[in-house]
Amino acid sequence: MFTNDAWSQVAHTSRRCLHRVAEPAILFPAIATLVLGVIWAWTLNLISVERTAAEHAATLSSRELVDTYEAQVVRALREIDQTLKVVKYAYEVRDKQIVLQELKARALLPPDMLFVVSITDRNGNVVASSRPSAVTRVADQDVFQNQRRSDTLSVGRPQADPSAGVWRLLFSRRLNSVDGSFAGVAMVEVEAAYFVSGYDTSKLGARGVLGILGTDGIFRVRRSGEEVAAAGDPVDYKAVVPAEGAFETAVMVSTNAWDGVRRYTSARQLYDFPLAVIVGLSEDERLAAANTGMRTYLWRASAGSAILILIVAILGRLSRQLALSRQHAVDEQIAHAARVEYLAYHDGLTALPNRSLFSKLLGQGIQHAHRYNKQLAVLFLDLDRFKQINDSLGHQAGDQLLQEVATRLKTCLRDSDAVARLGGDEFVVLLPELEDETHAATVAQKILSAVARPFVLIGQEFRVTASVGISTYPQDGLDEQTLTKNADIAMYQAKDEGKNNFQFYSEKLNTDSLERLALDLSLRHALERNEFRLDYQAKRDIRSGLITGMEGLLRWQHPYLGTIAPMQFIPVAEETGLIVPIGKWVLRTACLQNVAWQKQGLPRMSMAINLTARQFADERLLPDLAEMLVATGMDAQLLELEIAESLLMRDVATSLRTLGGLKNMGIRIAIDDFGIGYSSLSTLKQFPLDTIKIDRSFIRDVASVDEDKALTEAIIAMGRTLSLTVVAQGVETKEQADFLRHNACDEFQGFYLNVPMPAEQIAELLRTQGHSQDNHPRAAA
Amino acid sequence: MNKQIALLLVGLLSTGATFGADIIVIVHPTAAAPTKEQVADIYLGKSRAYTPLDQTEASPIRAEFYQKVTGRDLTQVKSAWSRIVFTGKGQPPRELLDSAAVKQAVAADPKAIGYIDRSALDATVKAALALN
Repeated sequence: MFTNDAWSQVAHTSRRCLHRVAEPAILFPAIATLVLGVIWAWTLNLISVERTAAEHAATLSSRELVDTYEAQVVRALREIDQTLKVVKYAYEVRDKQIVLQELKARALLPPDMLFVVSITDRNGNVVASSRPSAVTRVADQDVFQNQRRSDTLSVGRPQADPSAGVWRLLFSRRLNSVDGSFAGVAMVEVEAAYFVSGYDTSKLGARGVLGILGTDGIFRVRRSGEEVAAAGDPVDYKAVVPAEGAFETAVMVSTNAWDGVRRYTSARQLYDFPLAVIVGLSEDERLAAANTGMRTYLWRASAGSAILILIVAILGRLSRQLALSRQHAVDEQIAHAARVEYLAYHDGLTALPNRSLFSKLLGQGIQHAHRYNKQLAVLFLDLDRFKQINDSLGHQAGDQLLQEVATRLKTCLRDSDAVARLGGDEFVVLLPELEDETHAATVAQKILSAVARPFVLIGQEFRVTASVGISTYPQDGLDEQTLTKNADIAMYQAKDEGKNNFQFYSEKLNTDSLERLALDLSLRHALERNEFRLDYQAKRDIRSGLITGMEGLLRWQHPYLGTIAPMQFIPVAEETGLIVPIGKWVLRTACLQNVAWQKQGLPRMSMAINLTARQFADERLLPDLAEMLVATGMDAQLLELEIAESLLMRDVATSLRTLGGLKNMGIRIAIDDFGIGYSSLSTLKQFPLDTIKIDRSFIRDVASVDEDKALTEAIIAMGRTLSLTVVAQGVETKEQADFLRHNACDEFQGFYLNVPMPAEQIAELLRTQGHSQDNHPRAAA
Repeated sequence: MNKQIALLLVGLLSTGATFGADIIVIVHPTAAAPTKEQVADIYLGKSRAYTPLDQTEASPIRAEFYQKVTGRDLTQVKSAWSRIVFTGKGQPPRELLDSAAVKQAVAADPKAIGYIDRSALDATVKAALALN
């Protein structure tokens, strides 16, 4: 039973067979074999046809020739017998010896040139002859002896005539006396060659045969080419001549006994004579043309076959090369695709999976764990001192360290586990088959130990530590993002715990610091992603209202959260240490901007920048600043660093040293938020300050609250006493400004006239002021 | 001088005597004279334009005649005639006893052709060709 499926399968199979057949490796040899078959079949057929035709022609020719020859021999014999009968009649009726002369005179004898007619007496002596002959006595010869017993034509055996080098044949008939007794014989003598003189080389060739064979097996004459022979060894008459009565002469292809030549032999017993005629055509000669043709055909077929095979071999070779090169091209494409895919999913430095691949693996791991109700763990790992190594030893050493770390991480894991590099010094490990949490802890400890072993970088031994955060599925999250984020949070917890340890994520940890950590996470990338910018707030002279300087204010343009105020993220940056690179960026950007304004032809302005506690405590602060000033071309006199009052008071000795350093560079120093830091005035006096900035909390109520008014007056007075520039912060109303002017404050800041704005607008503002300066010297007031 | 002329004459005469031994092919006075090639064809049985007459095998003129006309010896001539006779295509020339008999036969037969010794030549026949 064939269903449709079965049919379609059969069709498919046959199609596939056809397809396979169409492949050059099979197609070419198949065609070649077919063509060879045709060539050889055709050639062999042609040879066979030609040979058959040649054989047929030889047979026909042999038969025709024997017909003709038989007729000629019989006629010649009859003529001879006729002559003998005439002689016998004349002899017996008339007189004896003179009959020959009379017969000759009447032209009743055969031509003298070829025949000798003679008469013998009863003793065998020749008594009369038509012309002189060598034969004079025949008493002991068969032609004579035979006639004694019978009265028939006798054909004698060939007689050699050595003197003439020829064979002669004698024919005889009995002559009777009047009483009927034997009186002698009449004889005709003729050269044996006469009977084969009809040998035609054009028909019989050089090795054919024409001959007369006696029933006694003795050849009367035989000719082959120009060679005439007679007598010789008797041959088996019956084997050569078919039985009498066979009208249609069979042509036998046989090797003739007398000379060993293979011939198309026809033999025919003569009627009324004890002789047979034989005609033979040499097989070699008759088939020579066919054989030559055969050799030609075979040669051509062989040559054709050889050429065909050569062509097929060449084609096969070419097609194989083509296929190979195609295969090669395909392989290369595949290899290229594989390489591209590899690069897309692997980290170039460590050859570990990258974030994309890890995300995939984690997704699969979660699916698997979900389906089989299993746990998995995500380990977040961060090197603790990587940045320092990178900074102090250079990127190459840092890269080498990361590679070494990658190698060590792999040795800590099973084959089924996965480790990826997310970027920087962050690695993440996936333990997809987690029996219980202690295993994750074991792995984490193993990792910590592995990383803690000393590294040798550029010939020196170094030690680094790592902090590891662990989150597990399904407890700490059901999706990729949550698990990763929570592992990250746990990692920060580990860092908080003093580094070189691992922490499991906990819900509490999350609620405490989720926001902070989320902020922290994105803060880490903000610099790279250019999310920071600086706005500038003008500082004005309180009397002239003219702009005297700027303060750079950091803004974070978060892609999702919008603009984030410094007070929100600076503490986080401060805590994580990110403030150092961020602070550097701020300083550099502000200085570059200041220089740019000057280049645009705008007036020289001071540029104030806030320093945080961490920045201020940074050992590299002074060298970094010096470097930065050189790099940007900023005049140190124009740079003013604002440091919170509280900060200076933490460690007075260090603060003094740092401030001294700054002063030496020519940088101006301002105390920020002055008035709320409980500074002792004596201490304050030690610091090399240039400016004090009155905290906004005093200014806010300066116009209304008397205490604030008094304090502000006191601060201004103190500043003046110490020869410091006094700046009021947070001036928002005209009243405040008026009060401050009144009390000889030097400069003011705040939303009253001084809204922070982008650099371009500031430039515009400065230009406008340049024009209107003379006309409206106190426009602000 | 006379002596020299006499010698020359003797020489000429002796040469003439040699000419006298030459063979002359003769035909009937009314018949056209054949060329040497035609004579050869006639005596080898290839042409029947004339009836050839032969001299006996014993006569020396016969071998000389065949040699000069056909370039063959008597054995070869015999072989050629053997073939003709055997295949029934003709009969060899009739043999006559001597030049006189030949001359007489030719004079009597307008179709006949023969060869004789120059010495036997006379007006009864036409000399067609001299062989020397």
